[in-house]
Amino acid sequence: MNNEQNERKMDGSIFLPLSFLMVFCILGLVVFLIANKISAEMSASAIQNLSESLDLIECTIEAVMNKEAEFQQLMAEEIALAEDPEAYIQVYGNHQTMVKISLIYAGKTEGVSNTGEAFSEAGLNFSGKGTVGGLEVSESYMNYMGTWAYTMKCPVVREGEEIGHLYIEYTYDTFDRSLPDGFYNKKAMLYIMDAESQRFVLKPKGMGERSAGHLNMEDFFRANDIQDNELREQVAQSVKNGKNIMFQHDIRGKHSLIYMWSVNDGTLFLIGYVPVDAIQQEGKTVNQNILIVVATMLIAFFLCCLLYYLTQRQQLKVRKEREQEREIHNKQLTEALQAAQIASNSKTMFLSNMSHDIRTPMNAVIGFTTLLAKDAEHPEKVREYTKKIMASGQHLLSLINDILDVSKIESGKVVLSVEEFTLNDLVSSVDAIIRPMASSKGQRFHVQVRDITHEYLMGDETRMNQILINLLSNAVKYTQEGGNIWFRIIGLKQRSPQYEHIRIEVQDDGYGMTQDYLKIIFDAFTRAENSTTNKVQGTGLGMAITKNIIELMGGTIDVSSEVNKGTLFRVELELRIPEGQADRRLWADSGISRILAVESDKAACETICMLMKDTGVVMDTVSDMDRAVQMLHDRQMGETYQLLLIDWGVVETDGVEKLKAVREMLPDTVWVLLLAESDTAGLDEVLLLKNTEVLIKPFFVRAFLDKVMEMKAEQYMEAAENTQNGVSLEGLRFLAAEDNEINSEILKEILKIEGAECEVVENGQLAVERFKSAEEKEFDAILMDVQMPVMNGYDATRAIRALGRADAVEIPIIAMTANAFAEDEKEALDAGMNVHLTKPIDVELLKKVITQYVHRKG
Amino acid sequence: MERKRKKRKAFFLAGAAALILTACVSRPSPGDNVMTFERENERAVTLFSPMEKTMPDADNVARSASEKTVTLAEEKLGVTVNYITYTAEDYQDKTYDEVALDRARNDLDDMYLLNPDILQKLAEEEKLMDLSELDSAKNLRDVVKMANVVDGKLVGIPQEVVAYGLFINKDMFDRYDLELPETPEDFLECCRVFQENGIDTPVGANRWWLETFVFAQAYADLYNGGELEAEIAALNSGEKKYSDYMRPGFEFLQKMIDCGYIDAEKAYVSEAIEGEGADFLAQKTPIVMAYWSAANADTAYGKPDFNMQVIGFPSSRGQMPVVSITGISVGVNAEHAEDAMRTLDIMVSDEALQLYAETNKVISPSKNVQVECIPALQPLNDRINENVFVLATNAGMKMEQWGNTCMIVRKLLGGASVEECMAELDRLQEEALQK
Repeated sequence: MNNEQNERKMDGSIFLPLSFLMVFCILGLVVFLIANKISAEMSASAIQNLSESLDLIECTIEAVMNKEAEFQQLMAEEIALAEDPEAYIQVYGNHQTMVKISLIYAGKTEGVSNTGEAFSEAGLNFSGKGTVGGLEVSESYMNYMGTWAYTMKCPVVREGEEIGHLYIEYTYDTFDRSLPDGFYNKKAMLYIMDAESQRFVLKPKGMGERSAGHLNMEDFFRANDIQDNELREQVAQSVKNGKNIMFQHDIRGKHSLIYMWSVNDGTLFLIGYVPVDAIQQEGKTVNQNILIVVATMLIAFFLCCLLYYLTQRQQLKVRKEREQEREIHNKQLTEALQAAQIASNSKTMFLSNMSHDIRTPMNAVIGFTTLLAKDAEHPEKVREYTKKIMASGQHLLSLINDILDVSKIESGKVVLSVEEFTLNDLVSSVDAIIRPMASSKGQRFHVQVRDITHEYLMGDETRMNQILINLLSNAVKYTQEGGNIWFRIIGLKQRSPQYEHIRIEVQDDGYGMTQDYLKIIFDAFTRAENSTTNKVQGTGLGMAITKNIIELMGGTIDVSSEVNKGTLFRVELELRIPEGQADRRLWADSGISRILAVESDKAACETICMLMKDTGVVMDTVSDMDRAVQMLHDRQMGETYQLLLIDWGVVETDGVEKLKAVREMLPDTVWVLLLAESDTAGLDEVLLLKNTEVLIKPFFVRAFLDKVMEMKAEQYMEAAENTQNGVSLEGLRFLAAEDNEINSEILKEILKIEGAECEVVENGQLAVERFKSAEEKEFDAILMDVQMPVMNGYDATRAIRALGRADAVEIPIIAMTANAFAEDEKEALDAGMNVHLTKPIDVELLKKVITQYVHRKG
Repeated sequence: MERKRKKRKAFFLAGAAALILTACVSRPSPGDNVMTFERENERAVTLFSPMEKTMPDADNVARSASEKTVTLAEEKLGVTVNYITYTAEDYQDKTYDEVALDRARNDLDDMYLLNPDILQKLAEEEKLMDLSELDSAKNLRDVVKMANVVDGKLVGIPQEVVAYGLFINKDMFDRYDLELPETPEDFLECCRVFQENGIDTPVGANRWWLETFVFAQAYADLYNGGELEAEIAALNSGEKKYSDYMRPGFEFLQKMIDCGYIDAEKAYVSEAIEGEGADFLAQKTPIVMAYWSAANADTAYGKPDFNMQVIGFPSSRGQMPVVSITGISVGVNAEHAEDAMRTLDIMVSDEALQLYAETNKVISPSKNVQVECIPALQPLNDRINENVFVLATNAGMKMEQWGNTCMIVRKLLGGASVEECMAELDRLQEEALQK
């Protein structure tokens, strides 16, 4: 069917130009035929005109000759009557027409001329048959004047007796005056030829193209390249018979008409040629005009076609644009519909998942609460149930946090809290969380940091943490037991000196993901669904949150994965380098000014040196223990180095004995720090050595400094640490502002258990009033909810801090709120609160915070 | 709204079309109905010449040097120069000179291109206008004036000084180790060597130009060191005889004929170049005689396939160019005498002669015009520049030279003896002195 339509369409598309072509062919043919017809008619007419002109010239010449003959006869009659005919002749002097008049008496061979000379017939040829008016005419000859002439012979008869002959010589120049001064606009040539001698006796006045062939007919044929014998034969025959002829031939490259016109019964011939163009001038003009009209019409027609075509094309274009627009709209609508459907499906699925995910821990909470009510008498079970309720609650909380996070990011309400942080803290905190997770699954967790030039950076540490924990916890989650997790921070080439360009890689050799899933991994409300991973709990929002946060930070994330081979996430970020960083003063305080680093890995060695560059500490590096020993000898050990930083890899290579030997060489005041992985085996033995400690890889200046400070303070910090471990809330008194009765009850009970008192008011206003009315140091701290009626926590805090009392400024105010975001914390701190704790309250955390602040106060 | 606009446009276009069509319609006023024709009153002069004139509107034709000067005059004066041409069909026809003489005697034309003998004859008959008052006459070389002044009247002005010389195939001379001949004896020796080497007729000749040998030998001393005026006066008074001067030349020709160095029978009926040219170009004949321009003209000896040299004729004073002065004259009874004089003045002006000399590479009669010559002509040119030459025409001599000598040489070719020729010379001298 389609083929048929196409063929029909094609037929239609060919038919139109073919029709046009046909019309033009017919038009062209008609014009050609008309032009040809006109041309032929005009040509015939032109030839007719030419023959008439030649007839006219012929008649003129014949008339002149006849008049000459008539006059000669009259003269002969006069002479016959004259007494002395010779004297009569000599009366005539020079005459322009009759250039010589002679008389020969009958029976004599010589006579006299009007010039006075003797005259005879010798040299004159009257053998030809030509006559004029009955008089014999001689063959043409060059006369005494140097011009072509002919003589007519007339008998002189007196009383019936022929007494002699009158000879009169005429020149052909006479005709020249009677002939047209060039015809056909002087393009036609005209010679007079004597038929007998075939010599040209009159030539065009003052003209004649070079080598025109003006001598005789043979010369004329030669000059005009008329070589066709048949034609020449026909011409010769016509001349002989005294017939008029015309034929066409090229003369000087121009198509010409050659004519030979008999005069006086063929004694003379008018010979010449005229270019065909010259006689067909009118025909040519008419044809040219026809062509101009046709060309004009064609141009007009084509212009109309062009206009039509352009209009059509414009309309087609507009139509196409509209169609395209419509198609785009349709497509957009379809996409929007699909997106809405997908969103709807996703949300339905998500809600279904959430329903399941929320119900599961909720079920546990309710179930265990029921069990708790039943088994309240059995403390063991109560503890077990509460523990499980707590776990379910925590899970439920994380679900809610994620959902809220996503909705907040998607609505663009997230604000990054950019502050200075160290990569060390970041890595440490991540390590602290992930390593136990990985260990619990028997996985190996590798941390690598390299090529970092700045350790202190500006960024939202909390969000960075969130990203890394998300990626790493996923890696742990989706990697089988005994697998490997790699966490790498790699310094890339800086694009700007103000920004550190880093790449974070999280790699595992776990389950991996399908290519289809990779396409939607960063979409919200999705979760890898397969038999292996659906055992794992999660909201499916983690990756969407991660990607959004990274993009918020101006970074990129990409992922590559292969099923059953593992996954690699790459995050690239540019973090601003803070202006005045470095712990130069702290390093100076630490008493460390020169360090010897023993590191076999050259790259790692360079990283350490680079990171230590701004600390003011001089770094010497060697690659093995032997060189270290040598260096120590050379430097008069101990007097120069305050610390030796030895990579555990070197110790493993060179042997622990060498380390011990080095330790022996050094005075006790010089510390030895071993740079090792956290789970390195064999460290225990060396840690027994004097003033020898371990610095966990990766190397960070901050961690290094902390370690140094820690070691310095170790001896007198021990006691304090023991004391801190025994701190309780015993005897403390709190003012709490909490509008939720259950929460206030829980708070009261918890604090009561810890031996503390707590007075709860219902809103911020009351809290301010209560504090105002309280005695100085009546309360040790204020626990402040944020969202409360009458006056919220922030305003209340500001009001308290503004009371003007000394304790109003000093008293720790701890925010306890369900507002868990970073900006909430920031607002809390800005309002004057000391610390921000999120609900539900973690008792241990609360204790720790309270202890910290109350101690400070104390 | 759109439809209204379209309607307005359509009306506007229709209106414009109607206006245009109306403008096309015209009706002649009654005054335009009568057509008048005026006969063009063309100023024209006639020039009798052996040459033809190219159609004025013809394209891609090489116009001759003479024609270029005619065109210059036509443009400057607004006259038309009509050519009357004549060329003899064969030797039995009247010659150009004869026809020229007849036409001039009968006042048929305004201007004539005349050979020196005819010029002198017509001047003696007082048929030619005195041209000495023309501006262009003041630029002429003395030799030209000397040759063309008759009874104190300048009767003809040439457009080139025609120098005759021997055209030599130098390659053939080199082939037989021959030096270029200086004297008549050298020349005869060269001919002998050529003949011995199988070249039966070493000199190609025609019925016109053998007289140049005679002039070179006759007047070498007269024009180069002789007492010119005194000797001419003696010749004009009859004290001295032309036959005494010319005898060695005729004897020389007789010897050439006798030895077969010249084919007298062929020469007697041969036109210039037509008879001997083909053999010379085909290197069958090593020597011919011709005028200067023949070395430049492609139709003559312009493109030889050998090393050609043009030298003077052998004489007692070495190689001797023979100079003949032609001239354009104006008929004393010319119908358009005034326009003819003006036309001639332009045709022989320095501007026209420069054009002529550059086109034909010839020696100009004007002392102000100089052009370089081709290498082949250098030997002849050097001699002329040294003022070594003889005149074949001299209107100062009462007996016409060029034509008469030519006729007598023709008699020699026809079989007359040297003595008979000398007697004819004496007769002609006597006839001339009696006039």
